[in-house]
Amino acid sequence: MAKPKIAVFKFSSCAGCQLSILNIEDHLLDVLGAVDVAYFVMAKRENHEGPYDIGFVEGAVTSPKELLELKKIREECKILVAMGACACTGGLPSIKNFAGTQREMEEKVYTELWDLKSIPAYGIDHYVKVDAYLRGCAVDVGEMVELIKSALLGVNPHFRPHSVCNECKLKENVCLLVNKGKPCMGSVTAAGCGALCPSLNRPCEGCRGPANDANAASLAQTFAVDLGLSRDDVRRKFLKYAGNTPEFKKGAEAV
Amino acid sequence: MEAFVLPKAELGGFVAKLKANYEVFGPVAKGTEFVFGAVAAAEDLRLDYDTTILPPKKYFHRPVETLFTFNGPVEIAGEGEKVAGKQLLFGVHPCDVNALLSLDKVFLNTYPDPYYKARRENTVIIGVNCVAPCENGFCSSFNTGPAMDTGFDLALTDIGDKYVVEVGSAQGKDLVAGLAAASEADLVARNKALRACQQKITRQIDAENLGELLHQNVEHPKWEELKEECLACGTCTTVCPTCFCFGVKDYVDLSLKAGERPRTWDSCMFYEFSRVALDHVFRPGRAARIKQRIFHKLTYFNQQFEGSPGCVGCGRCVSTCIKAIDPVEIVAAIQENPNPPEEVKLYTPPAKKVTPETSPWAPQKAVIKAIKQQTKDTTTYTFAFADPKVQEAYTYDPGVFNEISIFGIGEAPISISSCADVKDSFDHTIRAVGNVTNALAKLQVGDIVGIRGPYGVGWPVEEMKGKNVLLVAGGIGLAPLRPVIKYIQARRDQYGDFEILYGARTPNDMLFTGEFEEWRKIPNTRLYLTVDIVPPGVEWGHNIGVVTTLFDKMASRPENTIMVTCGPEIMMKFVVRGLLARGFSPEQIYVSLERRMSCGIKKCGNCQIGPVFVCQDGPVFKYADIKDLPEEIF
Repeated sequence: MAKPKIAVFKFSSCAGCQLSILNIEDHLLDVLGAVDVAYFVMAKRENHEGPYDIGFVEGAVTSPKELLELKKIREECKILVAMGACACTGGLPSIKNFAGTQREMEEKVYTELWDLKSIPAYGIDHYVKVDAYLRGCAVDVGEMVELIKSALLGVNPHFRPHSVCNECKLKENVCLLVNKGKPCMGSVTAAGCGALCPSLNRPCEGCRGPANDANAASLAQTFAVDLGLSRDDVRRKFLKYAGNTPEFKKGAEAV
Repeated sequence: MEAFVLPKAELGGFVAKLKANYEVFGPVAKGTEFVFGAVAAAEDLRLDYDTTILPPKKYFHRPVETLFTFNGPVEIAGEGEKVAGKQLLFGVHPCDVNALLSLDKVFLNTYPDPYYKARRENTVIIGVNCVAPCENGFCSSFNTGPAMDTGFDLALTDIGDKYVVEVGSAQGKDLVAGLAAASEADLVARNKALRACQQKITRQIDAENLGELLHQNVEHPKWEELKEECLACGTCTTVCPTCFCFGVKDYVDLSLKAGERPRTWDSCMFYEFSRVALDHVFRPGRAARIKQRIFHKLTYFNQQFEGSPGCVGCGRCVSTCIKAIDPVEIVAAIQENPNPPEEVKLYTPPAKKVTPETSPWAPQKAVIKAIKQQTKDTTTYTFAFADPKVQEAYTYDPGVFNEISIFGIGEAPISISSCADVKDSFDHTIRAVGNVTNALAKLQVGDIVGIRGPYGVGWPVEEMKGKNVLLVAGGIGLAPLRPVIKYIQARRDQYGDFEILYGARTPNDMLFTGEFEEWRKIPNTRLYLTVDIVPPGVEWGHNIGVVTTLFDKMASRPENTIMVTCGPEIMMKFVVRGLLARGFSPEQIYVSLERRMSCGIKKCGNCQIGPVFVCQDGPVFKYADIKDLPEEIF
């Protein structure tokens, strides 16, 4: 069997997720042995046209032109993977969705507006069908390898859709929220990162988006009532990475 | 009980002596909290700790534990990690010691788990009784603290400048060599310290009739209130010393062939805990999941494991919950405003012990002998174990199931669709809907899979003898009932009238259509067929409508009849209702339930419905036994 062709594409984002792929040193040679990286502008000089077996899309779509490109990519890829917070939920670019009209945002950032056409930032599944999600800012390398293996085997990947709290407790971290009074979002955020931030003594920022059945409204109450966060601060916590999701939207509107 | 004294000044030497023979773990500080960790010297030990983040359970039921490694779809390459040498836990609190006694029943009773067993046998426990209550504990409600009376090798009690050391085992006795015997005054001081602690424990659950109270209050405003609060983060169960549930998944390396099958702690608080193929979730609501946890801790566990406490009052769930959700407060709130009392019969599942010769986790190799397509997505596979001796010894009851595995893909429970009268093979009729079943669909005759089983309780073919039998099947639910038809066919004179009612969505979704003629020829047997819809161009000379529309045609009456049914839950619900309305009693009705029967051996917890483990207590149940289960079945 020919090696599956893999392609990596980028839209509005910091390119950190692509960089993560290059950081999978432990697995890189094995991965390269298993797949043919056909298109990856950041990593390769020679890139090949589609069709591809697996396409990884980084970034949120923020202009009509990008939207057309995304639709073409969808047609070219058998399996389309949203890679990273921006592609999954809108990520950091989606902050603009909650800060006024599109024009107001454009005016805040740019001085020359005459040929600027921007659209709100959503996860790419707002526009096209997505087959798998690699969550996080940036993606977890272990999950990326798991996804590639699962795609090659034709099975659903084993991702933990549990809360970050679960992974954090398994590491026996002292709870940043209960014991230190920090506004950690781990309880409503999907795990898979190995509780990376809390393990480094930093509260979870929710970059992986809501866990299944996340009760963000209840956590927002805790932030406001028990920790004394202002209404704006609570809003910012929930809108930072996944404000487009109904779950975190509820958190943002809860207080 | 023999008792000695260990002056605190000599603790260092005592621990150093232990370290010569054991790997020693005990409570150590981690920031502002405590954890069980490696102890280099007595100075590391914090015997004044209140509680640890994770319980010492982690040394026996590991958060992640490899069951075996594999190389290829059926080749076991190696066993999981067993303990190397002896380990010693120093400073375990009574609540955690009692929690281990509860866990023992889970992991050592039905199908003893070799990994847990080895760790248990190779661990020495030196407990420490509590002389000061912890902030959130309520151990005295369940007699699991502040002192322990069993489950330890040694138990220490702080009486000021020394510890009273009680001996709990022969192994413990060896460890106290050289210590002075405790004097009468020492023992008085011990009792005084523990009594004083007991009196200071103000947090209590009234454990009397707790099971009845909760079962009467399955519907209570408190659950709705908790649903709004709870973050569903699963921390409560993760830190619980008696929680045992886990998930089993296969992980392969990039060769896509070699890998391992680990189990990982899982939690009923997670939405996906009860998720099966096709994304069906049996317990999607947060209130239902909260109830599952609280009920399991406070009553189901006792029902399932011979009166073992499912809650030892360690208070970890309260301390770590962001919303401070507290079983003590929940029970108090319900007691304050209870539903009117009604008589509740608590279901106690039958206890059984199976001691397999090999690890219950290791499947046997089975060869695919034949493949027969039943419908577009459903296929009957005929298997025989590769080892003729295993095949020869293999017997099963109609209605039970096997776990089928393809290493690297996973494992799935599938009912056996053949009758054990056939000795040289057995059938599974499988719909391709999940990872394992889709992978099976790609296999050919001669390919090998892993199979372990049979598991569960089957149809009551013995009880049915001398009676009329009514069989109602829906869709693929006919597969686990086919063995009943075959069984009766082979022993026709032992049964009365036999009626088979079978419904499917369309004629093309019907299984075993090639056998219908044969079934019709069984003496005193009637077969009625129905479909929900007939697509254009399909010929159909039978009934149209849901399976219950056949009730008007059937001759079966409640007198001297046993009814067996299997199909989608919604179908069984209406079948049961229809028959009850026709005068059948709950004692005459048998249903086959489905849940996520992941381990098959009453360990992983995924298949629980109330106190029931579907995998071992079922999948076939007498309706009378389960109709009052707290989670609405039908």
